[in-house]
Parts: sequence; structure tokens; C-alpha cells
Amino acid sequence: MSEINNLTIPEIATIEEIKDEIVEVKTFYLKFDARPNGEPPAIKSGQFVMCTVFGAGEFAVSLPPSPQKDRFHLTVRRVGKVTNALHELKVGDKVGIRGPFGNGFPFEEIKGKNIIYVAGGIGLIPLRSSIMHVMQNKDKFGRILLFLGARTPKELMYEYNLKEWKTAPGFETHITIDNPVPGWDGEVGFVHTMLKKKNIPVKDTVAFVCGPPMMFNAVIKELTELGIGEENIISTLERHMKCGIGKCQHCAIGRTLVCTDGPVYTFRQIKTLGEQI
Amino acid sequence: MNYKSGICTFCGTGCGHLLDVRGDKVHGVFPLQNHPVSKGRLCVRGWNVHELLSTPERITTPLIRKNGKLTEASYDEAIAYLVENLSKYKKGAADEIGFLASPRSSNEENYLLMKLARAVFNTNNINLDSEPGHRTTLDVMHNATGMAGMLGSLEEIRKAEVILVAGIDITKQNPIIGSEIHMAARAGAKVVTIDTRNTQIAKLSSTFLQIRPGAYRIAMAYMAKVLIDEKIYDAEFVKRNAEGYDAFAASLSSLSDADVAEKTGVTTDELKAVARDLAGAKTAMVFFSSGISGFPKETVSYILNLFLLAGKIGREGCGVNPITGINNLQGSYDMGIAPDLLPGFQAVSDKAALDRFGKEWGVSLNATPGKTVYDLLATNKLKALVVVDHDETIIRNAIEISKLDFVAFMGAYKHDCMNYAHVVLPIAEYIATDGTYTNTERRVQLSKKKVEPEKGILPGWKLYATIAAKAGAKWNYAAPADVMAEIAKLTPNYAGITYDKLQALGGVKWGGARLDADKLPKKLSFAAVAGNFAVPQASEEYPILLLVGEAQHYWHQNNLMKKTNLPLREYNATLLLYPQGYVAISPQNAKELNVRDRFPVKIVSPYGSMEAMVQVTDKVKPNTAYVAYFVDEMVTKFFMEHKDVLKRGEDATIPVRIAKV
Amino acid sequence: MYLIKKSQVSDIAKELQKEYQVYGPVVDKETKQTMFVKADDIAEIDLAAPIPAVPPKHTVFPHYERIMAYNYDPQSKKVDINPDFDDKPKALFGLRSCDLTGVICLDRFYLGQEFVDEVYKNHRKKMFIVTNTCNVPFKQCFCVCTDSGPSAREGYDLNLTDLGDQYLVEAGSDKGKALAEKLGLAKADDSYKKKKEEIVDESILKFDSIAKDNKAWVSRVVNRVTTGLIEEKTWEYIGNQCIECGACSFVCPSCSCFNIVDSCTSATAADRIRTWDSCSYEGYTRMAGGHNPRKPVEDRRSKRFFCKLSYSQSKKYLRPGCVGCGRCQWVCPGDIGLPNVVTYIRREIQK
Repeated sequence: MSEINNLTIPEIATIEEIKDEIVEVKTFYLKFDARPNGEPPAIKSGQFVMCTVFGAGEFAVSLPPSPQKDRFHLTVRRVGKVTNALHELKVGDKVGIRGPFGNGFPFEEIKGKNIIYVAGGIGLIPLRSSIMHVMQNKDKFGRILLFLGARTPKELMYEYNLKEWKTAPGFETHITIDNPVPGWDGEVGFVHTMLKKKNIPVKDTVAFVCGPPMMFNAVIKELTELGIGEENIISTLERHMKCGIGKCQHCAIGRTLVCTDGPVYTFRQIKTLGEQI
Repeated sequence: MNYKSGICTFCGTGCGHLLDVRGDKVHGVFPLQNHPVSKGRLCVRGWNVHELLSTPERITTPLIRKNGKLTEASYDEAIAYLVENLSKYKKGAADEIGFLASPRSSNEENYLLMKLARAVFNTNNINLDSEPGHRTTLDVMHNATGMAGMLGSLEEIRKAEVILVAGIDITKQNPIIGSEIHMAARAGAKVVTIDTRNTQIAKLSSTFLQIRPGAYRIAMAYMAKVLIDEKIYDAEFVKRNAEGYDAFAASLSSLSDADVAEKTGVTTDELKAVARDLAGAKTAMVFFSSGISGFPKETVSYILNLFLLAGKIGREGCGVNPITGINNLQGSYDMGIAPDLLPGFQAVSDKAALDRFGKEWGVSLNATPGKTVYDLLATNKLKALVVVDHDETIIRNAIEISKLDFVAFMGAYKHDCMNYAHVVLPIAEYIATDGTYTNTERRVQLSKKKVEPEKGILPGWKLYATIAAKAGAKWNYAAPADVMAEIAKLTPNYAGITYDKLQALGGVKWGGARLDADKLPKKLSFAAVAGNFAVPQASEEYPILLLVGEAQHYWHQNNLMKKTNLPLREYNATLLLYPQGYVAISPQNAKELNVRDRFPVKIVSPYGSMEAMVQVTDKVKPNTAYVAYFVDEMVTKFFMEHKDVLKRGEDATIPVRIAKV
Repeated sequence: MYLIKKSQVSDIAKELQKEYQVYGPVVDKETKQTMFVKADDIAEIDLAAPIPAVPPKHTVFPHYERIMAYNYDPQSKKVDINPDFDDKPKALFGLRSCDLTGVICLDRFYLGQEFVDEVYKNHRKKMFIVTNTCNVPFKQCFCVCTDSGPSAREGYDLNLTDLGDQYLVEAGSDKGKALAEKLGLAKADDSYKKKKEEIVDESILKFDSIAKDNKAWVSRVVNRVTTGLIEEKTWEYIGNQCIECGACSFVCPSCSCFNIVDSCTSATAADRIRTWDSCSYEGYTRMAGGHNPRKPVEDRRSKRFFCKLSYSQSKKYLRPGCVGCGRCQWVCPGDIGLPNVVTYIRREIQK
């Protein structure tokens, strides 16, 4: 990773396209000004970058899979001052990018296994990167399942991907919303309650879980009860980050730094971190 | 050396620091080890003061509103514009011109602003924004002891055997004073906290009495009664030094144990134990907040009387100590920033004093006390208003201010009040000029000039002198030291104070280290009290008592803190979690309401209603709720209907009902 | 090893001044406070001064510094980014060994992990370090408990030891040797090695009678801190006394946490500012959106002591993070400097 030359000073990227996802969430497609054909640096799925919005500040954001699989883009929810400023930008505007940083998903270690994705709300943003990677390499894995929960149909992310995944061979999707609403004929109920109903594989299975804390805890409980070991549950953590390179220490959890040791951890690791997550 | 000594100008503690000054930039700060008060410590605000001093959000040029827009102007133009407009109302100045001074300005600047108002623009309408708070306390102190300030000494905290902390979250509001109390506790002092909330200092105290809202007064009165009933008060001290004992003792006769226990929510045995400790100790001090969330007059009077009775006034290690929230609040009153006061707490109506000022200034002064800007705004007579660098609470009167004919704003940092101003005059930051600040314990300290003012911006004293000159007055000050010389000449308690003497670390305390019972010009007197012990009552309709108070880092709509990063972040740690403001309730009430932290609720009082998020905390007792009064929504929408509540300070309690939204 | 007359020791600093900005312990005339600062005049530097209130950390990691400035023109879509790294040559003259140890911790942390911190690297790359052996400890010192004094063992270019009328000068690097040779210092024979050892041994013996303010038997608590087997109520007791001022982190020679903010000079231009930060602050871990994993103050307190005292953190410094200078105890409004915390943990262990 030492070839990264944007550790401290961001490189400039241009916003090529902006896609509205759901309320308060947009996807920004970027081109790197100083790289051949605007192509991004090498990325491992599960990594993140630090994005500078000029005149506002910098924030950490998870990445799509490697550039071969999709154009470089950031899906960002409007939560604070900086993300707010980003949402105000238009196509053609510039942002600064440092990274990619972080460990990425451990695809090598989980070759040949069944994969279950469990995402709640915008928890799909980081997991989507992994899903896309796995979809491209379906032959290397066993059964692939996605459980996706949202409060309402309006809060379902990446509809265009969902449409594609629903019909993709060898890929099972289960989408649920919290409460029934008119016009929704899909599943209803919290996402963790789906797991036992759907007879998921347990042996040789790895689960990727991402979502708000309440949902996360409920899902972990179900999965472990079903017999999926803590070491086979993978998640990606979010933290207040400033430097991205393991120096500022804002993202320290116990003895690890989310920016360099993470953001991807197994649940077993998370449990031993000795702090709230 | 690039570290230059100075005084922290955030709160009333007046800690010493060293600023890392390189050229005209401040790159850091470090605590001053030999400072008599702070002894090498600073709080989160003090440790990040350089962020304020580096902010780009400064006012860098005079501005005049043209066609609705503030436009760059020269000082000459802007000052001429100001003088021309103010002069229009000079005839009716008693009603039409008002000055809102800042408790953050130096003594010299406030003195000159006061002089500008009185001697040049013919008005006594000059005030701060803390009339219900510190002024009330000063009146009680002044009437009873002749000293309009804190009676004890911060340097003597570690000499106090018993320390009573009443209704002040002192480790958050004035952290270094809180630290001194904590250190005294660690060295064996008995710290007793009486508060409605379980604050940090409560946790660090040997005794914590969590009383019901609004019950400070009756608790203090009862302890006084215990001293008398058990004959353990300092009878000799009272006889020799004080007047008015009989009337005070008589006022306590109506108190019954059962009533006290019910109203305070603590047992009378607990209160008796504190009273006995107070009487038994050789030395004792009491601390309470004196800012806008301070106590009402009656409560302060009972505190003072209790300590007078115990003989814990006027001796080393003793004192009644109101604590100011803002750095120069005490100094501002010392400088006569009040419609009815001249410097040194001399009354405007005191003809001899007024004549002294008139003679020195070469004008004849108006002997009729003025009115506060807020009173003037309420009567719709005010035409022109001058505002100096201030917390943004003033904008609670935005509607009235926007209707005025003329508004001038002067200050170092950008401020929302500029939106209403017709002219804006920048003032250099405090480190760009000499100036003195008087901390909560009457300590006058010199903050020396460390950098050149930016792009020829005038320091406040020079700006006021220039305005005076433009208006035809002849003032002659070459430097702030000359202003201090004049202050010392006209202000009895500042007599003898010179910049030379102030060079010493820690400056000079007017009135001595503490009130001295052996050198009293006249006898002390018990403060007159009404003997009314009513407390706010909850009812079936409004079962929860809502308290109004302060919160960490951020007093009022603190304009300065908004210009920093780390302190702002710490403040935001609370406020960003609760963007609509918060109301703190107990876990039990949360359970009853079926709400969790950050759930929205509606708070309904007999006067109005508002929505906020709940903060669930064990700091408040069941059936009490707490709201930090700085929260925007509360001040501008809720409190506007509660002016009388605001005036009652920390005892301010509103019966409410809270409902889930 | 070399020798230099006491009256001539400032020649070393003067020689350094030709090439470097020279920093050293200076006693402020007005406040009598010793600060480790850039000396405008070498005569200001006082090698016998008490341990500086401010550690030399700020020479490599300033309290407040601009690391870049940018300006974005939304019309022309042009971005100007100007890195602003400070690589001025600096000489630290008269550093105490605890403070040098702090710099070594910072070196290993900023330069020795997966990534190199460029800002720090620039501060550090042209630096000359002259340490000064403590013949007598100060009252707050406990470097003997943290293996960081009273004399420096590595990391210096020159080390001075007061021999009475002269200083023993040890060269710790080629750069140091070259300077000693250039100044034509007299060579010291091997007997001086023994002499220095005696001085150091004597100094250590003096800790019992002089360095009475703090005792911190760090080694006894490292295991507990690492395994986390410390009772919640001990942390709560400590946390209750924390006033959240951040001072402990700011005065610590090895504390490295920083904050980064864009101090905006216009809607699209800013200075990117890096400042000291402290894990004791509530906002330190709060994320945009409000979730704060480390809200209770005791959580934040335990974090700092974990950083100073655990094996896992020591792996980054190759030694304990605490260097035994005692400053945190000086500045703490809550009286919970590291030595006191170590005492509370030991008290719990003994129970």
C-alpha cells in the first residue's frame, strides 16, 4: 500500500454524475483528474476513502468494488456539516480524495463458502461493494443470499441493483420492510426474523452484517443461535475519522484502529475489542 | 520568548496562561504555573483559546448599511455616520438612546463606553444583560457588607474546612474553581453540595443533598434556624459585627420541620447535620452561581445571613462567594455599566459622586437613573441602540431591535446582531491592546498587548475616544494606562491601582484578599428578608417541575465558542445529539412516558408549549426536568413568554407536563 | 566521548545556531516558568533550569499548525492545494531524557507503523538533539519507574553530563561526532564512562529523598490494564474526578492524538489545521449523526491509561507510553494524573 501518494494531500476528482438514491442519500460518480483516463487507484472491496469537500472539511466514506466492476463512486448520506456540503455540489464540481485505506473484505479466506448478507437500511452501502465483488466471482462461492430490511419501501437503497439481483441466477434475495404499507406486497417484519424462516445454510457459511446497532445485535443473536460462529460473521465498522492512516487515533477501539486494522472485522474480533461499537 | 503571559478571558475565574505568539499569530497556549488562582491548570476552553484567536471570522473593516446591504467603509465615514445618527436623539436621549455593553470588554473599554453614553450622548441607559443575576447578588452583598463583590478569596479555598456548593455545576461552569474545591476535599475539607441535579461536584462531595426545585431558600433559612435553635451560631461575632439579628431571627419562626422536609425533599436531620458542620468548623465558604442563572434576591439573602450567623464572613478561609460566568462581569459593574450606577457601585443619584464625575469630565451629568435597554425595548420608545460584542442572547429581542431607527454594532468577531446593524465598527481583539479584567473574586488583572491589531483596526478604548472626539468631546488618553489612572481617581475601590502595580502576577484585588471583619468601616447587617418560603408546586395537570440552568462550555448563545473548533465540538457533543434542544428527565419518568433518549416530546406549561428531545439521565430526580437555557428554541420561543421566569434565575422552575410526540 | 568546559558549553548551541533553529529550556523572566522554546539568544538557555513546563513535543507536533491551504474556484473549477509542511532544521538543546523518550515514542508511532505521517516526518527530518543528564531528579519525576532516565541511552546526537566544572559529551550519532570534532572538543578517556555511571547511580539514589511527589510502579499495573481486568468502579472513581480539560494529553511528551479541521476563510477556501486533541473530550469519538461509542467519561479515561500502560500499545512504542515526567499530575484539575491512577489500580490489585 506504500504506493499511495495521497496520504496527507488529497488528489482532485471531478463529479461526473450524481444519482439520487433515497431521501438524503446520493451517489456521486467521480473521475480522477490526474490519473490516466480518470481511473481511480486500486481498490479492495471493503476499503474506504477520505473525501474533502472544499470549504467544508473531510469525511470517511466506504467504497464500491474495484474499478473494473463499476465506476468509482461514493454513496453518501447527509448527516453532518461536510456531507451536507457535498450534497449541495453539482456535476462538474471538484472534491478531494485520499486513500483508499483500510483492510477490505477477506474474500480469499472465505473462498468456497456460502455467503449470507444481512443489511439494514443504509447498511447496504458498504455491503453492496462486497455483493458486487461476489457476483462477479460467483463460481468461487457457494450459495449467496441477501436479506435486506428497511423501515419503508422508500428507504430501500439501490433499487436498480436490487432489480438485477432479484433475477440473478444463484442469488437469493429477501427484502422486508418493518411495517405493512399499501402497495407493498413483499415481506413484512424485522430483517432478523427472516433468517430462521428462510432456512439459511449454516455449515460452511459466512455472514456479512451491517446496519444500525439495534438491528445488528438482533441479527447477531439469530445467526449465533442458528449455529454460525462468531468468527464467520463479518461486519464493517464506522468511526469518527480524521486521518485515515492510523495516526490521529479518533477511531481507536480498544487496541485496534478502525482505519488501518479495520474497517472490516469478524464479530469475534469486535467482541474482544473491549468497547462499545 | 514566544510564550507571553496573559489572562484567559473566557470565564470569571481569570486563569493565567501563556500564549504562543509568533508574529501576529497565536499558535498555542500553555497554563501559567505561578498564577495564584489557576496554578498551572486550564479547562477545555482555556486550553483552546488560540482557536478563537486564530478564527477567520473576525470583523475586519467598518461597515455601513447602504441599500439594505452592509458595505465596506472607512473608520472616518463609519464614525461620522454613527455620531450623526446618535446625535439626532441626543435631546430625548433619556428614552431614545440605549447602550448594551459587554461583560467581556476590559475595564478601560467599559469605562469609556460608560463615559461616552453619559458624558457625550447624555444618557444613563447603559447596561449588560445580567441584571436579574449578578446585579441582584451585588445589591445583597453591598447592602449587607459594603462590598459589592465576592466576599471571600479563591486563593483561600484550601483553607476552608467546610465548603458549601449551592446550585452551581461548578466543575463545568468554572472548572478551575471546581478543581480547587475538589483539591480541598482531597486534602480533607468537607464539601457539601446542595443542588437539584446530581452534578459532578455532587459526586465529589462528602454530602450531597438533592433538594426539590426552588427549595434553596427554605433550605438555607432552615439551617439558619438550626444555628439559632441549637444556640450554635457565632453569637459573639454577630453581636460585635452585625446589625439586624432580631428581625432576621424573627423571620425564621414560621418554619416547621415537617414543612421544610416536604418542601426540600430531604430530611431535616440532613440539613441539621450540615448546619452543625458549618457552625463547628473554624472556616467555611459557600459558592453559588451569580450569572444569569444565579439565585433570586431572597435566596442570596438567606445564604448571606446563614454565613453571617455562623461567623463565616470576614475571616481567612471564609466567605460568601458568588461566581461569575463571564470574564469581566464583575469589572463591568465596577465600571458603572448600569443605568443607576457610576463606577465603584456609586449611585447615579448620589449627588456628590455625580459631581465628582461631572467635574472630572467637564460636563453636567443627568442625576436621574436610566433604564435598561430591555425595558426601553419593551416600551417602544427606544430609537437608537449601540451594542458592543456580546453573547447572542440579545437577539431574543430581534423583532424589537429590527424596528429601531438606528443600530450600531461594535465588536471583534462576526455576530448575528450585525444583521440588524446600520453601522458596524470593528474592535481589535483583546490581545492587540492592553486592558484589565476583574475576575469573580475582585482580582484586577492586566492583559498586555501581544500582537498588532489587524490592518489598522482600532482597540476599543481608542475607538470610543475617536467617537467622542468626533462628537466634540475632548478626551485625552494616550494609552489604556491613562484610562486606568482616571478610573482609579474616581472609583474608591480602584484607588491606587496602576498599571505598574498590575504588572505583578495575579494583579491586585480591590477590597483586599477578602472582606475583613476587623477593618469594617461600619457594621455588617443581616439582609432584609420577606420570610416567604413558598416553593413551586407541581399539580396533577403539571406534575413535573422544569428547571432552567446552564450547561458545559457554552453560556448563553456564546458567540465566542462558535468561533472555535474543539470547544465547539464539545458543545456540539451535547447539542448535535439533540438538535431541537433537550429536556433532561429521569429514567423513571422516561419509563412512564415510554420514551428513550433522543425521543421527541412536547412540554406543556400554563404559559405555552414547545417540542424538544428528551435526554434520559439519572442526574435529575423523578418528576423534575432540566433544560439548559442556552438552547435556542427555549430562549427565543419558550422563554419569551416567560420573562418573569428568566428573572428568577437558577431557582426558576416551571411546572409542566411532558407528553410523547 | 569528549569534554567541554562548563563556560564553553553554549558554544555547542552557538555552532548549531548556524544551521538550525535552536530550542532549549528558557526561564521566563517575568513568570519564572521554564519553557522549552526557540531561543533567540543562546544565553537565554539554562541547562540547569527545572524541567520545562511544556515538553518539547511541540517542536515536532505543534499545538496548532496549518498543514495545507486550498482554494477552489467553483466557476473555473480550479483547485489550488498548497501543502504547508514545516521542515525547518531544528536543534533541541538540553533536552531531558524523559522528553527525548517522548520524541522516540512519537517517532515509532508516527514513522514506524503501516503508514508514515508526512507532517511529522518533515518536522523531524532535519533535527539535531542534545540531551542533558539529570544529576538530580526534580520532585515530580518518576522516570526510574518507566525506564526513561535519568540519562538518555539512545536517540540523541550529543548527550551532556554535568561533571562539575565541565560536561562530558557523548556522541550518539555520526552527526553528533562530526560536530564534536568540528568544535575540537577534548577527548575523554574510558575512565569517564565509569564517572558518568556513578553520577547516574547517585541520581537514581536521590529519587527516594527528592522525587517524592509521584510514585508510579507502572510495571505492576501493565498486566491489569492490558487484560482490562480492572473493576468498573475504579474507572468510575477516576472518571468522576475528570474535568475533561484535555491537559493530560497536551502536556504528555508521547501523546499523539490530533484533530483536523478546515478553517474556512471563504465558502470554498480553507486552511487545513491540525491541532492537539484529547481522548478525554466527549466529542472526540462522536460521529456525524450523533452516535458516540465512548460517551461515559470513565470510558474515555480508561482509554488514555490503556494507551500509556498496556502491552498492546507498548508494541507501537517498543516501550511503555508513559515516560515518567510527572507533568500530567501537575496540570490535572481532577488530581488524577497518571501516578495517582497507577496508585488506584494498585490499591485495587492489593485488595
